[in-house]
Amino acid sequence: MESDDDYYEDDIDPDDYDDGHNFDNEDVEVDEGYLGESSVDARISSYNPDLGDDDPYPYECLSADKVVGLMNEIIREVNDIVNIPSTTLRILLAHFNWDKELLLEKYYEYEGNQERIFAEAHVISPLKSKSLARRKSGRSIEQACEICCNNYSSSFMTGLDCGHSFCKGCWSQYLCTKIIDEGMSQTISCPEFECDIIVDDAVVMNLITDQKVCRKYQHLITNSFVMCNPLLKWCPAPDCHHVIKVEYRDKRPVKCECGREFCFDCGESWHDPVLCMHLRKWLKKCDDDSETSHWISANTKECPKCQVTIEKDGGCNHMVCRNQACKHEFCWVCLGPWDPHGASWYNCNRYNAEEAKKARDLQESSREMLQRYLFYCNRYMNHLQSLKFEHKLYARIKRKMEEMQQLNMSWIEVQFLKRAVDVLCQCRQTLMYTYVFAFFLKRNNQSIIFEGNQADVEKATELLSEYLERDVTTASLGEIKQKVQDKYRYCDSRRNVLLRHVHEGYDKDWWEYIETS
Amino acid sequence: MVGSALKRLMAEYKQLSLNPPEGIVAGPVNEENFFEWEALILGPEGTPFESGVFRTSLHFPTDYPMSPPKMKFISDIFHPNIYPDGRVCISILHSPGDDPMGYETSAERWSPVQSIEKILLSVMSMLAEPNPESGANVDASKMWRDDREQFNKRAEVLVRQSLGLPEQL
Repeated sequence: MESDDDYYEDDIDPDDYDDGHNFDNEDVEVDEGYLGESSVDARISSYNPDLGDDDPYPYECLSADKVVGLMNEIIREVNDIVNIPSTTLRILLAHFNWDKELLLEKYYEYEGNQERIFAEAHVISPLKSKSLARRKSGRSIEQACEICCNNYSSSFMTGLDCGHSFCKGCWSQYLCTKIIDEGMSQTISCPEFECDIIVDDAVVMNLITDQKVCRKYQHLITNSFVMCNPLLKWCPAPDCHHVIKVEYRDKRPVKCECGREFCFDCGESWHDPVLCMHLRKWLKKCDDDSETSHWISANTKECPKCQVTIEKDGGCNHMVCRNQACKHEFCWVCLGPWDPHGASWYNCNRYNAEEAKKARDLQESSREMLQRYLFYCNRYMNHLQSLKFEHKLYARIKRKMEEMQQLNMSWIEVQFLKRAVDVLCQCRQTLMYTYVFAFFLKRNNQSIIFEGNQADVEKATELLSEYLERDVTTASLGEIKQKVQDKYRYCDSRRNVLLRHVHEGYDKDWWEYIETS
Repeated sequence: MVGSALKRLMAEYKQLSLNPPEGIVAGPVNEENFFEWEALILGPEGTPFESGVFRTSLHFPTDYPMSPPKMKFISDIFHPNIYPDGRVCISILHSPGDDPMGYETSAERWSPVQSIEKILLSVMSMLAEPNPESGANVDASKMWRDDREQFNKRAEVLVRQSLGLPEQL
């Protein structure tokens, strides 16, 4: 590969230099295909080999306010068709997991008998509620609140369309308990015994005076909307309240406004070439050493349907998954579906000889598995550790670049150093995940080719790292520049070869996986 | 918050002492602390627990009646819906999950308009009719289902114990 001084002029995006020296910041080349509104961050990372510019993955980064806007837009859209009060409509939509097509379908399926749809969603039909409200307003002056047993004038008593009224103090306390302690939002029902009518958002906002509770309530509503919608996902970065909206669901990298790049499918950092499923297993395994994970494995299980982690804090073994979109019912002990447990074919207690044998076999192979795991873990951790150190390298390289500019080199001439560190970080991140991929891989001819590619990238990456760590200290910049440029271009191209090979393998079913416990 | 809980507990105590339901005696352990109660429950007639007097404790949270109390049997008990350590597993004592459309119908859930009296009556009817669907004590559930005779014998021993009588005549 030749060094060409003109080459980097079109290669460098000056904006990128100011982006902050974060190793997450991988996309050095900015795609020109700019999509949609101003908030859209449609930079497509250049390094993903099977994503050419002809195959962009359009997505938007939305602030929480915009998500609320989106929600209101859906309500407006549906309201144009069915014309019921928006507070009631919001509950109906939540009942149908924000699937407006399903709601409209049901609404017209029950044509003429729409009471049923309101009853199923636990709201009073807007047609009926008016008469109830009128009846209520004709009541006497003083009433006793059944919760606190005090008497109040009827102006201090309030309630839903179901007609049960309580004093405003008790209402507010009741709603706070539900929202803050139990994390409920659109499923809070009337406090009356045997009444399941749901409290709508207008009532909640009216009765709650504490701003903190209001904010939490709004957040919970937004959250349930995001959770129900497969095309939306929260940015996983701590304290980031942005949502990524895609046009179709895929295992693709998306980048939030806050800078966090993650896999839209699983929410982890972008982990090419390893599959989400394998990464998930791997991370769980890696965590198995920590105290937290001891606690998690001892006290939690995963919902057998949606894999959300569940802690059982007392009560019966009949579990109902709280994930709004799942609601799977299962037995805590055997993790099987709940249905047989209530019936006569109950067999949760029966010992299964076949499963016991399986457990024994697993134990025998576990020693060998542990060795294997430690081998790969060691290498994975090593790259992870190095990646963390590259933050320091960025800082040092930046200083170096400033120095060089004072020694009569132009700004553009020193940019190769920044680019080299970018490539180094990309390579480390890819290598890190190739060890996860390799851990699950069964040996065959293709896996040997993969290992060859991996070794090649690793060797080159280490050399590049060494150049950047040590050699960029002297004034002999002319020499080192060529060496570094050659090396990072080599690294980058070998990394693409490695990734392309793995992706081709996915397409052609080359890869076979080992069974892990 | 504590104030309104206290007020409500006092009102309930007054109601329970003026108008006690059959087979139930309940009240605070001492009048200094209204958040710790004890209740005596009479084993319902025509059941294996007939004429036993079972001591239970009730612990009220400071946000009562928004959250339900915790209830525990102090007397030894062997019942499918009571954990071996005495904690009672009954849906009226569960804070409802965020899924009112799920299996726990609203009739079974805790609500702020429920009362101590209703809890104790529910526990009494639970003694009469165990719910083997949600077994808190697996051994008891199994015995209740497969070997009712032995279950009844075991219950009789507990009844005698609760009355301070010798195990066998």
